[in-house]
Amino acid sequence: MLRIREDRQPLLRRIEVSRIAAGALLSLLATAYWFVQIVRGDYYFSLSENNRIRAVKITAPRGYVLDRNGAALVENEPAYTLHLYRREARDLDASIAFIVDLLGLNPELVRSRVERGRRDPEFVPISIAENLGIEEVAAVEARAVEHPEFAITVSQRRLYKHGGAAAHVLGYLSEATPDQIKNAGSLYQVGDWIGQKGIEGAYERLLAGANGERRVIVDSHGREVSEANRLEATPGQNLFLTLDLKLQDIAEQYFRDKVGSVVALEPETGEILALVSSPSYDPNWFTRRVTAAEWSGLLENPDKPLQNRAIQNMYSPGSTFKPYLAYGALALNLVDPEMRIFCPGHATFYGREFHCHKKGGHGWVALRDAIKVSCDVYFYNLGKRLGIDHISEIATSFGFGSPTGVDLAFEKAGLVPSEEWARTRRGARWYPSETISVAIGQGPVLVTTMQMARALAGVIEGGQLPTPHLFYSSFDPRTGAQLRYKTESHHALELPPEKLRIVKSGMWAVVNEPGGTAFGSRSSGVEIGGKTGTAQVVGRETTRRAGADPKRLQDHAWFEGFGPVEDPKMVVVVFVENGGHGNLAAAPLAKALFEARFGVGSRLPQPPPAVRATAPDAPGIRQAARREMP
Amino acid sequence: MIGALPRTRRLDWVVLGCAVALASLGVLFVASATGGTHYEGLASRQAVWIGVGLAAMIAAILFDYRMLLKFSFAIYCASLLPLVYLLAFGERIANVRSWIRFGHFQFQPAELSKIATALLVAYLFENEDQKRLRTSAIVKLGAIVGVPALLIFAQPDVGLALTFLPLLFVGLFFGGLPARGWVAIGLLLAVLAGGGWFLLKDYQRARIGTFLNPDTDILGSGYQVRQSKIAVGSGGFSGKGFRSGTQSQLRFLPVQHTDFILAVIAEEWGFLGVILVLGLFAALILRALKLAQTARDRGGVFLVLGLTATLFFSVVVNASMMIGLAPTTGIPLPLVSYGGSSVATTFLGVGLILGVEYRRFVNA
Repeated sequence: MLRIREDRQPLLRRIEVSRIAAGALLSLLATAYWFVQIVRGDYYFSLSENNRIRAVKITAPRGYVLDRNGAALVENEPAYTLHLYRREARDLDASIAFIVDLLGLNPELVRSRVERGRRDPEFVPISIAENLGIEEVAAVEARAVEHPEFAITVSQRRLYKHGGAAAHVLGYLSEATPDQIKNAGSLYQVGDWIGQKGIEGAYERLLAGANGERRVIVDSHGREVSEANRLEATPGQNLFLTLDLKLQDIAEQYFRDKVGSVVALEPETGEILALVSSPSYDPNWFTRRVTAAEWSGLLENPDKPLQNRAIQNMYSPGSTFKPYLAYGALALNLVDPEMRIFCPGHATFYGREFHCHKKGGHGWVALRDAIKVSCDVYFYNLGKRLGIDHISEIATSFGFGSPTGVDLAFEKAGLVPSEEWARTRRGARWYPSETISVAIGQGPVLVTTMQMARALAGVIEGGQLPTPHLFYSSFDPRTGAQLRYKTESHHALELPPEKLRIVKSGMWAVVNEPGGTAFGSRSSGVEIGGKTGTAQVVGRETTRRAGADPKRLQDHAWFEGFGPVEDPKMVVVVFVENGGHGNLAAAPLAKALFEARFGVGSRLPQPPPAVRATAPDAPGIRQAARREMP
Repeated sequence: MIGALPRTRRLDWVVLGCAVALASLGVLFVASATGGTHYEGLASRQAVWIGVGLAAMIAAILFDYRMLLKFSFAIYCASLLPLVYLLAFGERIANVRSWIRFGHFQFQPAELSKIATALLVAYLFENEDQKRLRTSAIVKLGAIVGVPALLIFAQPDVGLALTFLPLLFVGLFFGGLPARGWVAIGLLLAVLAGGGWFLLKDYQRARIGTFLNPDTDILGSGYQVRQSKIAVGSGGFSGKGFRSGTQSQLRFLPVQHTDFILAVIAEEWGFLGVILVLGLFAALILRALKLAQTARDRGGVFLVLGLTATLFFSVVVNASMMIGLAPTTGIPLPLVSYGGSSVATTFLGVGLILGVEYRRFVNA
């Protein structure tokens, strides 16, 4: 007993040491917990909140777009997307094989998508296929028990009900570009759809509404357990456009085999009733994700289907420019309407001979008849008398040389030359002989179809230039609140009614008197006034593009018209690229539109079926059919 | 030996009370951690195992530990048999061959062999009472601890194998290893650590790498540590409330009813809960060490020391694991974590400790 006790002394001391050490170690551990839980507690608490709460976007339903009569142009339709939840998959390869077999998908494509999705956290579902058909959805749902890793999500997809019709008016949706995301603050995220061009682009904020958000509590698999709170989405506004689908359809039909554009608008208000740019494209491609073939088809088409020709392409106005010159000369009191000029078919100015389009000449003509027969010699003389600076003043007052302010993006300004422009911008002085060319709408004067339409409305209204627009009204689907477009206009040169009557009379005669340049397009149903134009194709670019095709060098055809003549309610400007004479190529559409608008049956000549071909590689593009013609 | 005079028989209520309290906390939080999952029902199973453990504990108290020491070599050898069997024929559960199935229940024989090893170590030091530890004793000690540890390491269950190390330490430290010996061991460990790196399996290396730098792999091995730290830290002072821990109830915590049970307690009961658990362990361990000092014989001293040391080691490593201070080695929190074999054998160990105290004044 004694021996043991003696022996134990060092052992007991060591145990005492170990007790102190153990107590100290446990206290240290408690201190570490104090640090994590008390000192850093708030930090970890916020991390745990982030862990369990996930914000899920509620996409606001995008507003519909309708024509002025309430006919739907753009709606939404349900779209089905197939997602793969990796955490649910026991054997990823087997899952891929199953879905490839079930839906007949491209195995390479599916595998590459899964591979790409692996970079994301596991709870993020991988999108396998978009735009599933209803049978495919049913097939996947039927196997949901054996394959819980696959799930269908429903979203809203934009539907352009009339395909390529009015495509340039409507625009399209695509995923927001990095620049758009940056510029819009925090409104958009990568992958969000945003309106591009057209109405979709111009009224993006109205149409998009405001997305809502659900804050959901999720488990560690990212599965929703419950909803913490919810901020409902504010649906987008429905937009009524000024378009009249009936007129739009007629114009679309007409341009099926032509390249060009047409603008029809109400002169008093500037409401655009029809707007076509041809060739067109189907905006539905963008929401179904354009394939590479479709995209290159769009980009490589020499006629540039994505371009809105009514506001983005500038052309010489040709003879359609003459009424503005006549109007301006009268308004500035620089011409006596009774003054007669003899037209022998040609005239010499500044040592250069200029020809009239009529070889034998028009004989003696005064202002009204000069418009009716489009006498070049008369307008050469008028132009010389006005001088380039007056011509420039007149053209500018009709809005040429500046954008019309239509509610579409990327509008071009056109060009109105002046001596100052020649000096400062062109860098070569103005030659007086150029004035003579400009007097008949040739030379360095460039206009858009939209500008022509607004200027003609200005003539009709005796000097009030309306701002063309497509927005008619918006309608809030929740509150029913409506927003109307406030009509705007600018003052052009004013013309007293008795003098205005002379210009209008000349334009009436163009269509309604024998010898008028558009006499062939007179209507028995509605009295139309107007002016034809033929713009010569001279540009080097055009020559290069034309290549061996002589058709490409043919003149562009213009027709501007208004009706009914006594109280005009609509102006129409038609432009057909390489269409030849305005009377034959452009005026018939104007006539059809007037007749349709004012209650007379449309007698639009139907093109033969053979020319309605579309290129197989780019379905939907209304290709210029002349290439199929011998 | 059974039924001697009451005055000479003393049951230590501190150790017993702490153990039962911890086990009860365990059942409570296993219930919290598994509620609403397909693990539901594990809490009552755990309670059954506690019952088994308590029975084993009472048997251990009543049975004279001196008898056990006497036969400790045979017990030790018998406890190695299932380990060998497992390595050869064991079925893998969670990629590890460490379970023997009895019908509905599974048992980890390694837990029992830890007790057997503690017994044999105590028996070794019963007679090894020189002032300085002899080399032959060191070799014997190394073999006694090393064989089962290596067998378990090969299963491979690194965590459980590591819990044998405290027995080695107990022998060396309390047996009186001179300073030179500690230096030699330090050098040996440094060499082994270098070489051992190449013996580790990839996932084990990944765990150690993750431990050293947990942010490198937030969704892989680092995920567990990160989520556990978030759970612990977010509990704050008083916790989110029982069954209201978002980290645990939404399953962000891995194996939360077993190895990470302390994180659940820390999240739901906060710092107070942690102090409660650590306080109970501190009371149990410090009290047990006190009992070691007053044990009747040298064998009893070493038995208590060995059992207490393994317990202490598991507690410290597990609690450090929760907040990223130790790598995730798969060491459960004794008595609290879900795991029948662990709970039952820990109670058996507690019974042996109590048994030593129980016989303090008995003359053999």
